[in-house]
Amino acid sequence: MSTATQDRAMAPAGKTGAPRSLARQQTAGRWMLLAPGVIWMMLCLVLPMLMMIYVSFWTQTTFSINSTLTLDNWAAFFSTPTYLDSLLTTVELWFVTLALIFVIGYPVAVYIGLFVRDKTVQTSLLVLCVVPFWTSFLIRVLAWRPMLGTDGAVNIILLKLGLIHQPIEALLFTQYSVVIGMVQIYVVFMVGPVAFMVSRIDRSLIEAARDLGAGTARIFFTIILPLSMPGIVVGSIFVSVMVLGEFATPSALSGDKVNLLGNIIVTQVGSLKWAFASVCGVILTVLMAITVVGLLRIVNLRREI
Amino acid sequence: MERQPILRVLLTGWTGLFLVFLYSPMVVLAILSFQSGPEGGPQFPIEHWSIYWYRQLFNLVPASSVAPLPLGSALVRSLTLALTTMVVSTVLGTITAQAFRRHFRGSGVVFYLVVLGMMVPGVLVGLGMALTANYIGLDRTWWGTVFLVHVVYTYPFAFLVMLAIFNRFDRSVEEAAWSLGVSPITTFRRITFPLIFPGVLSSMLFAFTLSYDEFPRTLFASGGDLTLPLTIYGTFSVEIHPNLFAFGVLTTLFSFALLAVYATLMTLSVRRARRVAVQEEIA
Repeated sequence: MSTATQDRAMAPAGKTGAPRSLARQQTAGRWMLLAPGVIWMMLCLVLPMLMMIYVSFWTQTTFSINSTLTLDNWAAFFSTPTYLDSLLTTVELWFVTLALIFVIGYPVAVYIGLFVRDKTVQTSLLVLCVVPFWTSFLIRVLAWRPMLGTDGAVNIILLKLGLIHQPIEALLFTQYSVVIGMVQIYVVFMVGPVAFMVSRIDRSLIEAARDLGAGTARIFFTIILPLSMPGIVVGSIFVSVMVLGEFATPSALSGDKVNLLGNIIVTQVGSLKWAFASVCGVILTVLMAITVVGLLRIVNLRREI
Repeated sequence: MERQPILRVLLTGWTGLFLVFLYSPMVVLAILSFQSGPEGGPQFPIEHWSIYWYRQLFNLVPASSVAPLPLGSALVRSLTLALTTMVVSTVLGTITAQAFRRHFRGSGVVFYLVVLGMMVPGVLVGLGMALTANYIGLDRTWWGTVFLVHVVYTYPFAFLVMLAIFNRFDRSVEEAAWSLGVSPITTFRRITFPLIFPGVLSSMLFAFTLSYDEFPRTLFASGGDLTLPLTIYGTFSVEIHPNLFAFGVLTTLFSFALLAVYATLMTLSVRRARRVAVQEEIA
């Protein structure tokens, strides 16, 4: 398939030497290669997203939905405390999770990328970080239940060590358990890109800085942090997109006490309130778009690849 | 900086703790999967060690108050879906990346359109697909609508992998073959394909595992027939039992087997490439 296009493009070039028709044929061949993917994405991604925006303006009644356009759903969203609360909770948990992931993951990434000299050890450590992904996502979420419960492993260990005298009950079915679960699941998406960027830093740059008398802090803030920025941005985009769209972790680890926008969408669809679900979906999309565009402002990604 | 001993010790310790944090839930889950049954609950203490819950997965124990997980048909559906998604998204990814080998106008737009597929949260894609299917009167099924949105998710991964492969690919080898009069099909089979094979393999691995485990997209886009993740999700609201943990251990082992197949094929292809290179040097 690949060579066929090239061949067709080359044949007339040899005979007629007409560059314009060659270029035109190359363009045609290229669009034939692009068409299946582009059409697939337009029909199964762009169209559904537009559909979601459209349906968010439909008229929702208790038992049915019709395509008469109205702003009622939007008004309902912004005047119902439950929805506004969940929007706030979503933003709040997203910030907390992202911050924790950065604090926990960044030092690990710097260690793997900069401190581990041996390439084999470096690769093994990265593989170790990825291995948990080979367990089903939902099982990994569920695995936190026996960890965090009142009789859970964490409480047992803390009691044995004498650090606490009574089991901590606030660990499971609270906001904490949701954040802990999400940090563990998504932290790798920060570690990977940052470790990659850090490992590409030219070590002689750091040595030169030290020879010129720069301290550790100075080296970190003028060399390592700026050069790892693309990794931080990529990692943050991944983490943000996934945390903002979450609903399974809260529903498994908060006992339905924490309702993110994703949970609202699931509940609404469950009671066939498609229009309300769409409103939440559009708001989530806007939130996401602002985040991604904002993050992409910091670095030019296409230049980095 | 990397020579400061205190910093090194601190970071080593931190990374060690990090790995403990990453792995402990799975370790606890694996331990608890050997809980006694059927009366043992999904928490400590272990009453006595047994493989009851593993046998329960395969219906090898007498019926008890704990219903077996309805996994059989769900497993077949998930595997079929993952295999189909794998083939389609790898082909799509390869031909799209092929078109990207030369710069063209509009490449930025197409690039972001494809990458959008892995950026939009699954719950939104699933919702949009469900709405669209309802609107045009299409039935929502695991082999129809779910398949469509799975490819939306895995195709960008395949595309990015193949793009990286083609970027490092010396096109003069292909051109040499054509100028020597080798037919396009033979060129593809003997030259192009072996060179891009590691990428194809990686794309397939990505696509298979992502689709096999995909949940948020599947939730709304599927109809009544459940895939594996949907079956597990169904147990969230009701009480969980250690049979789910046993199942988690088994699927993890299955994934490792898959990873081993991938690693073997990869090693073989690298070794063959090296042998060809050595032969060329001798010649």
